[in-house]
Amino acid sequence: MRLYEYEAKELLKKYGIAVPQFMLVTAADGTSFSSQVIAKIQVLANGRGKAGGIKVCNSSSEATNFIKEKLNSFFLKEKVTSILIEKKENLNHEFYISIAYDTETESPILLLGKEGGVEVEQNRGVVRKAIDPIIGLREWQARDAAVDAGFDSKIIPKVSEFAVKLYNFFITEDCRLVEINPLADTDFGLVAVGALIELDDNAAYKHKERSYPPRVVGIGRELTQRELDVKKANEVDYRGTVSYLELDGDIGFLAAGGGGSMAAMDALMQHGGRPANYAEHSGDPPREKVCALTKAILSKPNLSGLWIVGAIANFTRIDHTMQGMIDAFVEVKPKFPIVVRRSGPYEKEGLQMLKEAAGQYRLDVEVHGSETTMTATAKTIAEKSKKFKETYGNLT
Amino acid sequence: MAILLDNNTTVVIQGITGRTGQVAAKLMREYGTRVVAGVTPGKGGQEIEGVPVFNSVYEAKKKFPEINCSAVYVPPFATKDAVIEAVSNGIKLINVITEGVAINDTTQMLRYAKLHGARIVGPDSIGIMCPELCRIGVLGGIKEDADKIYKKGSIGIISRSGGMTNETAWVVRQADLGQSTVVGIGGDYILGTDYEDLLLMFEQDAETKGVVIFGEPGGIYEDKIAELVKQKKFTKPIAAFIAGKFADALPHGMNFGHAGALIENGRGSPAQKIKTLREAGVLIADMHDQLGNLIKGAING
Repeated sequence: MRLYEYEAKELLKKYGIAVPQFMLVTAADGTSFSSQVIAKIQVLANGRGKAGGIKVCNSSSEATNFIKEKLNSFFLKEKVTSILIEKKENLNHEFYISIAYDTETESPILLLGKEGGVEVEQNRGVVRKAIDPIIGLREWQARDAAVDAGFDSKIIPKVSEFAVKLYNFFITEDCRLVEINPLADTDFGLVAVGALIELDDNAAYKHKERSYPPRVVGIGRELTQRELDVKKANEVDYRGTVSYLELDGDIGFLAAGGGGSMAAMDALMQHGGRPANYAEHSGDPPREKVCALTKAILSKPNLSGLWIVGAIANFTRIDHTMQGMIDAFVEVKPKFPIVVRRSGPYEKEGLQMLKEAAGQYRLDVEVHGSETTMTATAKTIAEKSKKFKETYGNLT
Repeated sequence: MAILLDNNTTVVIQGITGRTGQVAAKLMREYGTRVVAGVTPGKGGQEIEGVPVFNSVYEAKKKFPEINCSAVYVPPFATKDAVIEAVSNGIKLINVITEGVAINDTTQMLRYAKLHGARIVGPDSIGIMCPELCRIGVLGGIKEDADKIYKKGSIGIISRSGGMTNETAWVVRQADLGQSTVVGIGGDYILGTDYEDLLLMFEQDAETKGVVIFGEPGGIYEDKIAELVKQKKFTKPIAAFIAGKFADALPHGMNFGHAGALIENGRGSPAQKIKTLREAGVLIADMHDQLGNLIKGAING
């Protein structure tokens, strides 16, 4: 989970890492500032600085205008619900420091640069040091990194001490990433002026005290009612997961598993199909959850087809998940073509159930098991959708 | 021969009394895997699917010194300790099936394993399958279903997606080919065993004539395949499918900021991975179900 910058700074403060004085503004009314401030839009996306989300304000009215303009607007596809106002620090120099994980060395890695700022990824001066995950980062190693990065002797002890403090924070809080950019050298010591933190969701059980509100990837708009409905259905029951994201096309998409849904979506789009949504279920969700997901997909107006697809499952019972889908079909009675490719335990039973429901409720369903590949049925649904639109008109 | 597993593979299941551990014990034995012991602290003396349960790996190895492989089915919070316990007791191959291991735990257990010359496959691995020999994990499900998909043959398979492993083996089978060894390396950011490690083993394996790969977005693991091929350290044909090409047309997920860019040097997107692999001479399947015929053409050609 990525933290908003104000959350990141609150957390850093607890570890004695200095951050600029700040306040969080969530409403434009009644704000005024006595000194020069920096206003920072609070979104999770990368590239905020380059996109104009950080503004140095020389007067109170400049800050107030910025807040009025940006609050509740969309910025980098995310809705802006808060703006961080920080006191502008008098800094002598800006450094770059981060700790992340590195697949090459299978370990945490320290990245240290003499010049911080928004263009840092182009900066060839950033030094990388792999950290032994059992021993941790020691000051001598941080000093070596600072030497390699060309830091002045005078500042090296301060920087290496900061690096170790940051590493201890990184480990104790189970971060995936901590990035301080810039790390400012001020008359009062090193200050974390920019902060980006990504927490390890797999370690959340160690941090029950945390109460960060849930967050969504920016999609440039508010969540639709259908997206909210599926989110709610997913949270009602802990077994299995269902997810739903609305897109612009007209073919309903219901896939099983992460890798499988990616491969299926690739195939659909390569065959010229335009997905109406991206929906996925995994981990053997109960019938009710699958039904709620299917209903959400079917409720989008002007669909020209529905594709239900999954790889050959090891465990997930095809008949169980199929029952949830049939529940939704019985209620909605879709008129457009449905193409199904499901395989795994109780495949025969599940597909037979669907065929019977199709007969009884006069649904246009084409059913495939493992004898047809996933991607082959992508072509089938794309063609059927096209034909449906030719017959009944393009409804979208 | 296959890679990773052979006739001598003798397995302990750590976490055998859990729900998934019990199913694994049953299905692994049904397929012919020599599962001689299970471990669950405090449950020593019980039996699961005819397999004796011990309190520790040490106790299990006292009774069965021939144990040389562990299948780890313990919950995420206990995984690091379970792996270190196995390594400390001299087990050299550990297949971690557990999903959701904290990344720092992963780096620590991998480091410890490396120091002691042990290999970890996983975490979040769907398992390892050597058709008609044995399997770790439950790829293919019950034996009757597994036999439809898996048949001893000449194609090695490496998949990051657990859910797509059967399907990938199946498209190979549909091209009238069998599999030498099928490995789910797991979808985590840090992998104990990656494509590179396995390709080097497949290179040495006389039975393997070609390798099929299912890759995913993110990380630089797929790029290392290209380097290996260019350096001629792997000389057999490879056919790869990289999922997630459509993602460019969808709202962007999050990545890792400047640090991510610095570490990965701009690598990581499916489009870039495909380009890099293609330039190195790896056969790329635009559609997943082309993998079978692609590799078939290459090994016959």
